[in-house]
Amino acid sequence: MIKFENVSKIYPNGHVGLKNVDLQIEQGEFVAIIGLSGAGKSTLLRCVNKMHDISSGKLTVNGVDVTQLKGKEIRRFRSKIGMIFQSFNLITRTTVLGNVLVSLVPELSWWRRLLGVYPATAKIAGLKALDNVGILDKAYTRVDQLSGGQQQRVALARTLVGDPDIILADEPVAALDPVTAKIVMDDFQRINREMNISILLNIHHVDLAVAYADRIVGIRQGEIVFDGPTSAVTQEIIDEIYQGHGSSSIKGSAEPVAAEVVVDA
Amino acid sequence: MSEMIELKLNEQPSKKRQYLLLGGIILAMLLWSLTAITFSAPDDGGAKIAGNIIKGILSPDMQLLWNFTSQGVFYLLFETICIAFLGTIFGAILSIPFAFLMAPSVVPKPVYLITRFLVVVIRTIPSLVYGLMFVRVSGPGPFAGVLTMSLTSIGMVSKLYVDVIEDIDRGILEAMDAMGCTTFEKIRFGIIPQLIANFSSITIYRFDMNLRDATILGLVGAGGIGSPLIFAMNSYRWHQVGSILIGLVILILIVEAISNKLRAKLVNG
Amino acid sequence: MRKRTLTLPNGKVVTEQRSKVPLICAILLVFIIVAMRVTHFSFRTLATNGHQFFVILGAMFPPHLDFLNRVWQPLFDTIKMSFLGSLLGALVAVPLAVLSATNIVKSKLLSGFFKLLLSIMRTLPTIVMALIATFIFGLGTMAGTLAIFIFTVSYVGKLTYEQIESLDMGTFEALESLGLTRLQAFRYGIVPQILPTYLSTSLFSFEGNLRYAAILGYVGAGGLGIILNEQLGWRDYGNVGMILTVLIVTVGLIELISQTARQKLQ
Ligand SMILES: Nc1ncnc2c1ncn2[C@@H]1O[C@H](COP(=O)(O)OP(=O)(O)O)[C@@H](O)[C@H]1O
Ligand SMILES: [Mg+2]
Repeated sequence: MIKFENVSKIYPNGHVGLKNVDLQIEQGEFVAIIGLSGAGKSTLLRCVNKMHDISSGKLTVNGVDVTQLKGKEIRRFRSKIGMIFQSFNLITRTTVLGNVLVSLVPELSWWRRLLGVYPATAKIAGLKALDNVGILDKAYTRVDQLSGGQQQRVALARTLVGDPDIILADEPVAALDPVTAKIVMDDFQRINREMNISILLNIHHVDLAVAYADRIVGIRQGEIVFDGPTSAVTQEIIDEIYQGHGSSSIKGSAEPVAAEVVVDA
Repeated sequence: MSEMIELKLNEQPSKKRQYLLLGGIILAMLLWSLTAITFSAPDDGGAKIAGNIIKGILSPDMQLLWNFTSQGVFYLLFETICIAFLGTIFGAILSIPFAFLMAPSVVPKPVYLITRFLVVVIRTIPSLVYGLMFVRVSGPGPFAGVLTMSLTSIGMVSKLYVDVIEDIDRGILEAMDAMGCTTFEKIRFGIIPQLIANFSSITIYRFDMNLRDATILGLVGAGGIGSPLIFAMNSYRWHQVGSILIGLVILILIVEAISNKLRAKLVNG
Repeated sequence: MRKRTLTLPNGKVVTEQRSKVPLICAILLVFIIVAMRVTHFSFRTLATNGHQFFVILGAMFPPHLDFLNRVWQPLFDTIKMSFLGSLLGALVAVPLAVLSATNIVKSKLLSGFFKLLLSIMRTLPTIVMALIATFIFGLGTMAGTLAIFIFTVSYVGKLTYEQIESLDMGTFEALESLGLTRLQAFRYGIVPQILPTYLSTSLFSFEGNLRYAAILGYVGAGGLGIILNEQLGWRDYGNVGMILTVLIVTVGLIELISQTARQKLQ
């Protein structure tokens, strides 16, 4: 369970990233976080695994008070939370399996870490994770020879091999074409349902968010302006999340994605 | 409308003056440097000597070529390979700290500017000056050659390494942070794999060059095939020169072919 | 090599591809040991005697300023040699590069011949060319110029024909189809594409030649190398330091100009 209690985040330059956020996410939920670019979606995700420190309030993840973690504890804490990025962030020039196994590096003995030699059990775990996302046959291919969708699935397998409770995905399909994006979203959904892993996913495409998530969190200028089940999302709510700058005639300045939704809905 | 076309026409930058200026400078430099062409051929005429040289080279000393003792072409070539190989390896290792100290994304500006200056100095001092200095350290012989090549390799290799370092994809470091990896693990699994292929490719390329440059070492007694080659030339034994050159040219061509193949494989996977 | 397989819990079997890195490391290590034996490499000598290097280096500082007067003439000779050799070499490289390019010259035999020619020219050590040239043309800058000329032809020639061969011939054919002659199509379809790289390569080669020209004097082929050899022979390291300082400043300046020019070309 992830629990934000009146959390605020102020960047060193004074910019307010999150303002009085209250949010509770149960184990196994699939939550999509939507909002304009710069609204604070990435900030919210990055607070969960302490990539960012919060400025005030309380944040607990599975009963652990995140603010109290230090040094080694942070690293151990993070290894149970998977993270996926828009730009995949894989090791170029390394095989698919090599990329997946990096996740297990913190658990290896010192000489294995030095030489980069993985035990057979680790390799089997890595291959299993690859099989889970359907790219087992690419295990020994170099990642730079894969398509974007396949690369994102390598990144997904990389988080799975660490056996996480939570996966944080920061715009995982923004760099993919619509068809590939659906395939990757299918993977997220299946993992969420079969393995009961909580998924927090930032996403630009409201139609994808509505199609896959159980719950939608709308965020605007660091504040949560909507939080409810997907079924409760209406056109007015979407307009409110994307256009609520005070006036109602700023459609033109909203991102094209938002405009596209208006048409879709 | 035609007005606009005319305007656009006038907008086209006229490079005539620039080209004229450049041409003028080059012409002036050319005229100035033409004075470098001087003929002070020995009395019996250059042409005759040239004939002798070509004749000698075209009828190589087969005995020297197929000689497998430590005076033969084969052993000397092998020694040259060893000098170039060790010099390249040590040079490549020495280049790594230099390269990181030259990378703007790693160190602050004063540090990389000073290191860059230092490397330009190292690169510009002619190799035979180093050769003579190292002969003082190790005595004449191939050891001095290895030390010289280690030092002369640094200039080019570290410069090329820097480009690879600047090209590192930092996304993986963020991802590894999120996995809970330590700094050591980030370097070992996130950075080194990105560097190793290109570094190896650059090092192989440098080995190729070192093999070519190894002849110069012979001038200062720093080992390799250069000494006997230059000795044979200075004593007008052109048949021996021929056999040594044949061995050297064939060796370099073979090594070049192999190194091109290896490098293509390294870079493209 | 023995192939190993891994069995997944769901029964799928994957053939493991073992990394070749350990094998490569082992071969390298063996060769390093052999090469250290052959070259009598010894870390102990280096540790006990290494300071000698810095003794000489220290003797070069401060450089003897009064020697500067004797440095100018050889310096100019070195610049002249490398400039003339590079300019003429770069010009002669063009026809040879065109004749070596398989997408322009249809006869494989002809292009192969010129490629081999360039290859051998590049492989012959420049210092050997310089020495041979001194036997034929006498001691002096002429020999050095010739050696640099030959190297430049081969270097620029090789890079240029590689560039030509990597070109998309579509433009060339399109121009030919418009009714241009082969020569015209070359002038308007190929030249603009290779010109920037060609000029950049030539400048780069000039920079390198300047460095190399400083060595050539050592075999009597003119330039700074002559006085360098002389002063090293006398062990007058203050004078050597002066020569090196002048060389470093000159090379630095010319590199700066040439690099700016090359960046403009990109
Ligand atoms: N390190 C930082 N320092 C200062 N401001 C930042 C920093 N990172 C993000 N911000 C600002 O915080 C706001 C929210 O950013 P972010 O969470 O990345 O938005 P989103 O992911 O929704 O596009 C933006 O206005 C951004 O400019
Ligand atoms: Mg973001």
